[in-house]
Amino acid sequence: MIDIWNVAILDPVLNGLIALSTLLWNNFGLAIIVLTVAVRLILLPLTFRQTRSTVAMQALQPKLQEIQKKYARNQQQLQKEMMKLYKEAGINPLGCMWPMLIQMPIWIALYQSIMHALAATPENLLLLSQHLYAWDMVDQAIPLNEEFIGLHLSQPDPTLILAILVGVTMWVQQKMVTPPSTNPQQQQMSSMTTLMMPMMFAFFTLSFPSGLALYWVVSNIIGIAVQYFVGHGWGYFTMPSFRPQPQTAPAGQKTEDQKALKDGSEKKKG
Amino acid sequence: MSKVSKSIKIVLLASILLLVFVVACTDQTGGGGGGCSSAAAQGWSGFSPYNKVLCFGSMEGKVIAIDPQARSDNMTFPATGEWVYVIKTATPGAGCGAMSMCSSSSSAAGAGIYDTPVVVDNLTYAGTYTGKVYAFNASRGVVRWTYPREGFDTVGAIVGDMVTDKQNLYFGSANTKVYALDAASGDFLWEFQTSNKIWTAPAVDKGVVYVGNYGGNVYALSADSGKEIWNIKIPSAVASSIVTDNDSIYFGTFDRNLYSISKENGQEKWKYTAGNWFWAKPVLYNGKIYAACLDHNLYALDENTGNLLWKFETESPIVGAPAISGKYLYVVCDKGTLYKLDLDTGEKISSMPIGFTVYGSPYVSGDMVYVYARDHNVYAVDTVKNTVVWKFSSFLK
Repeated sequence: MIDIWNVAILDPVLNGLIALSTLLWNNFGLAIIVLTVAVRLILLPLTFRQTRSTVAMQALQPKLQEIQKKYARNQQQLQKEMMKLYKEAGINPLGCMWPMLIQMPIWIALYQSIMHALAATPENLLLLSQHLYAWDMVDQAIPLNEEFIGLHLSQPDPTLILAILVGVTMWVQQKMVTPPSTNPQQQQMSSMTTLMMPMMFAFFTLSFPSGLALYWVVSNIIGIAVQYFVGHGWGYFTMPSFRPQPQTAPAGQKTEDQKALKDGSEKKKG
Repeated sequence: MSKVSKSIKIVLLASILLLVFVVACTDQTGGGGGGCSSAAAQGWSGFSPYNKVLCFGSMEGKVIAIDPQARSDNMTFPATGEWVYVIKTATPGAGCGAMSMCSSSSSAAGAGIYDTPVVVDNLTYAGTYTGKVYAFNASRGVVRWTYPREGFDTVGAIVGDMVTDKQNLYFGSANTKVYALDAASGDFLWEFQTSNKIWTAPAVDKGVVYVGNYGGNVYALSADSGKEIWNIKIPSAVASSIVTDNDSIYFGTFDRNLYSISKENGQEKWKYTAGNWFWAKPVLYNGKIYAACLDHNLYALDENTGNLLWKFETESPIVGAPAISGKYLYVVCDKGTLYKLDLDTGEKISSMPIGFTVYGSPYVSGDMVYVYARDHNVYAVDTVKNTVVWKFSSFLK
C-alpha cells in the first residue's frame, strides 16, 4: 500500500517539487508557491462547481429558513423537505466537499515531500535518496536551499506570523461560504466549526514545517480570491463587530423557532 | 446547510485530519527519525579499537567502550577497561537541517553521534551532532578536553568522521567550516570557511587536508595553515567522505557518481556512475576501490581506471562502509543483513540477517564482526558459525 502511494503520488510530487525548485533559481519556497497555484488551477473546475453550489445555496436560503421554521419540531420531515428542495434546485449539499477531498492526497504528499526534500537530519537525507528520480536537475539540486524570506522551510516558524496568517485566511475563506442559520443551535454549531478549524490549523502551524504552512496560506488566499470573483463578493463573510444579526431576537422577544418549540412543549404538557 | 450534512462534514474533516496526522507522523526511516516536524538525529557511529576494547558512539548520545571478551562472558558492565560517558543533550547548535546554515543559536536536538570515534595515543575523540568535540582518556573515559571550551558557543553539527595526522585533529562542520585542533590539548589551530555545509569526513595525507561540501566544492588545504591549495566545483554535492591513495582522492556525489580526482591539481581522472548515491566512505585495498552504494550494490573498481571488476547486490541500500579482513569483505545492508564476500570475486560466502536496521559500518576482528543496529544493540556475529554470539544494549539496562 505504501509502495503504491509512493510510486503513484509521493514520488511524482516530490521530484516535481525539486525539479521546479531548480527551474526557479533553486528557490524551494517559490517552488512550493508555484506548485500550490498549479494544484489550485487543476482543481479550478471543481472549485467553480463548489462556488456555484454555494451561491445556489445562498439563493435557497429564504426557502430553507421557511422549511426550518415550518418543521422545527419534526427533524425527520425537515431533512426530507430540505433534501427535496436541494433535489429540485439541482444542488448536492456535499458537493462542496469534493475539491477538499481530492486535494487531500496532494496535501499529504506535499507535506511528505517538504519533509523529505528538506531533510532536516542525515536520516531524512537517506530516506530521500530512495524517492528520487535519476534526473540531473533533481540530483544536482540536492541538498535544497531551505531559506525563504527569512524562514527555514524545514522548521516551524518561531514567530506567530505564519500561524496567524494560516488561521485568519482559513477563517475568512470558511466565513465566505458558511450561510447563517435561523436555528440558534445550528448557528452555534456552525460558528464553532468555522472558528475551530482555523484555530486547529494555526496550532498545527506552530509545530509543522513552515514550508507546509506556506502552502496553506497561499492555498487559502487563492481560495478566497476564487470565491470572491466567482461568488460575486464576500459571500457570507462580515466582520463580527459589524455583522447584522437578524436571527437573534432582542432581549425579551422570542424567535419564531423558540415560540414554536415553546408551543410544542406546552401542547405536550396539555 | 442541513444539520446532517454539517455533521457529515465535521466527521469527514475530523477523519481527514486524523489521516493526515497518521501519515505525516509515521516514522518512515525504519531506524528513528521521521515523524512530525524535525526528525530525531540519532547517529550511526562505527567502532574503533583501543587495546582490548571497542569504542563507539551510541544513538542516545553516549560514548561507550566495551570489551568483547567481557561481553561474551556476560560480565556486568562496566568490566575492567570498559567505560561510558553520557554527553549532555540540549546543547545549542543542534537541529541544523541539511540545507540550513547552522548557527550556534539553533534549537536543541538529540546529541546523536554519527562519526566513528578516533583513538590516537591514549586519547579517544568523538564529535557530536550538537556541535562539540570531546577528547577522552581512552583507558578510563575521563574527559581530557572539549572544543569549543565550556561556556563558548558550539560549532555546527559534526556528522562526518574526524581525522588525525597524530599531531592535529581535523573535522568539517555543518556551519560550513573546516577546523584544525591540536590533538593533545584541543587548542584551536585554524579554520577554513567553505561555500556550504560539510556533512562528510575530510582526508589528510602528506600535509594536505581534502574536504568536500554540499555546495559541490572540493578543497585541498594546507594541514599546517589551512590555506587553500586548490578547489574544484563539481556538478553535485559531495555525498561521501573522501579517501586518498598516492595520487588521487575518491568520493561519491549526489549525482550518483564516484569520482577519482588528482591530488596534485584537482583534475578529474575518472568517474563511475551507479544507480544511486555512493554515501558510504569507499575503501581502498590492493589497487582496488570498494564502494557501497544506496542502489543496494557493492562495487569493486580498478583504482586507476575506474573499470568495474565486480559488483554484489544486497537486499537493500548500503549505508555503512564495508570492512576488509584477510580474504574477505564484510558489508551490512540497511535492512540488517550482514554479508561475507570473497574479496577477489565478490562471491557470497555467507549472509546473516541481524533483523534490525543497520546504518553504521561493521568492525571485523578475526572471525567476529561487530555491528551496531538501530535497536540500540551491538551484535557480535561469528562469521564461521554464522550466529550471533552476544548482544549488548547501549541503553545499558
